[in-house]
Amino acid sequence: MKAICYRLNSALTGFFLLAFAVVMPALVQAQTANDGQPVKALTTNSSGALLVLRESGLFVLDGKTATEIPLPPSDSVPRPNSLATGADGSLYLSGPGLGIWRYEYASERWQSLSHTLPDLGITAIAAHATQPDTLYAYLGEGGMFRSRDAGAEWMKVDSGPREPVEAFLHSDMPGSMESGWLFAGTTRGVARSMDCFCFWGDAGDLRGTVTVIGYDPSAPENVYAVIEGQLHHSSDGGETWAGIETPQAVTALTFSPTEGLLVGTENGNLLSRHASGGWGPVHE
Amino acid sequence: MPLEDGDLFMNKWLVPLVLLVAPALVMAGGEPSNGDGVPTEMAEGRQIYEQYCASCHGWQGEGAADWNKPDEKGEMPPPPHDETGHTWRHSDAMLFRMIAEGWRHPFNETDQLTMPAFKDNLTDEDIRSVIEYLKTFWAGDQRRYQQSESHSRDRHPS
Ligand code: HEC
Repeated sequence: MKAICYRLNSALTGFFLLAFAVVMPALVQAQTANDGQPVKALTTNSSGALLVLRESGLFVLDGKTATEIPLPPSDSVPRPNSLATGADGSLYLSGPGLGIWRYEYASERWQSLSHTLPDLGITAIAAHATQPDTLYAYLGEGGMFRSRDAGAEWMKVDSGPREPVEAFLHSDMPGSMESGWLFAGTTRGVARSMDCFCFWGDAGDLRGTVTVIGYDPSAPENVYAVIEGQLHHSSDGGETWAGIETPQAVTALTFSPTEGLLVGTENGNLLSRHASGGWGPVHE
Repeated sequence: MPLEDGDLFMNKWLVPLVLLVAPALVMAGGEPSNGDGVPTEMAEGRQIYEQYCASCHGWQGEGAADWNKPDEKGEMPPPPHDETGHTWRHSDAMLFRMIAEGWRHPFNETDQLTMPAFKDNLTDEDIRSVIEYLKTFWAGDQRRYQQSESHSRDRHPS
């Protein structure tokens, strides 16, 4: 009996060792891009690959391989800080001093979309959830701009919420008079407007500087916001909020069609949330 | 219910007040309601506005006080239609729909249609003329914005 137990035990250990040996290189590879710095932004493209903006560059994480996408050229020191995926899967990148760019996956080239913007001081961008040609940009003092032709022509639509905007999101949550909702993370909390820009109001009474905002496209009432690294969740479109525990402070988030909620942390890690509510490394 | 009493009180006083003030307003109004090239549609629009809308949205479209946050019932109050509000953000088609079918903010705490539906009381023609009248409350650049929204809706139906 003892012997059987022992043999089973050693077989199990062997199995785990083997499994570890198989998985480990993949883990290492997936995390190679980790520079130990906070993840600056995350988005998911139409084929489910994860795009990770780090201090050290922009990476596509497709399954177990991480590929770097060279950043667009810039005169000044570029400070990319915002990613968005359009309804057609296009990738958008922006940042203060950098303007707004679209990446052509096929030709592997960046195209500047800033020609009709008054300046390059882009604080945050958002892409319309269902209309591929509609984009939004927040220019700080300059206010809120919208393009309906994929960035060729920008028009100022609004000065935005009263407080400055740090993060921006378009969502196809139902109930809007027009085609969806805009959520803005401001220094006061989350502001919400229908996408007619007909009035920015408080979304609930979550207070603090919201630096990250996202939602679940498969259940759009679920909105997520980060204040000082703490993740908050609303299941009613921003009316009420509750904190979610995370192992490390959160600095970016996105939704993947396969893995659900994914966060980037201040240590540069990428974590996904298990059904049980716990967190684990992405691609584990 | 104390709230309903309040409403009754309001109505009892509002009607005579309106009767008293309306003729004076019409006389004092800067724009002649007909002649002088002002289309009669505008005069009709104004009449409809003052009869059906002004009690909630204000005689000059100034809206309720504190219109930009929910009231004690958790309902959004009637917003202004003038240049301080957001009516000018909506296309003609959307304005028509809201006036005909009514509207409530989806995050209101009650299910009541706070902006009543007017399709049983007003003809399509009436609604179109009251929309034209609302436009007289807006600034020039707002009118231009709204015109382009009305046109771009044909290209971006939601
Ligand atoms: C009983 C009061 C009441 C009356 C009468 C009324 N409204 Fe309203 N209206 C409201 C309220 C309240 C809202 C705001 C609804 C919301 O957003 O929750 C509103 C909203 C609107 C809006 C949407 C504005 C925006 O930008 O969101 C329009 C347009 C409008 N009303 C036009 C009219 C017109 C035209 C009439 C007259 C034919 C009229 N209303 C009569 C209460 C009223």
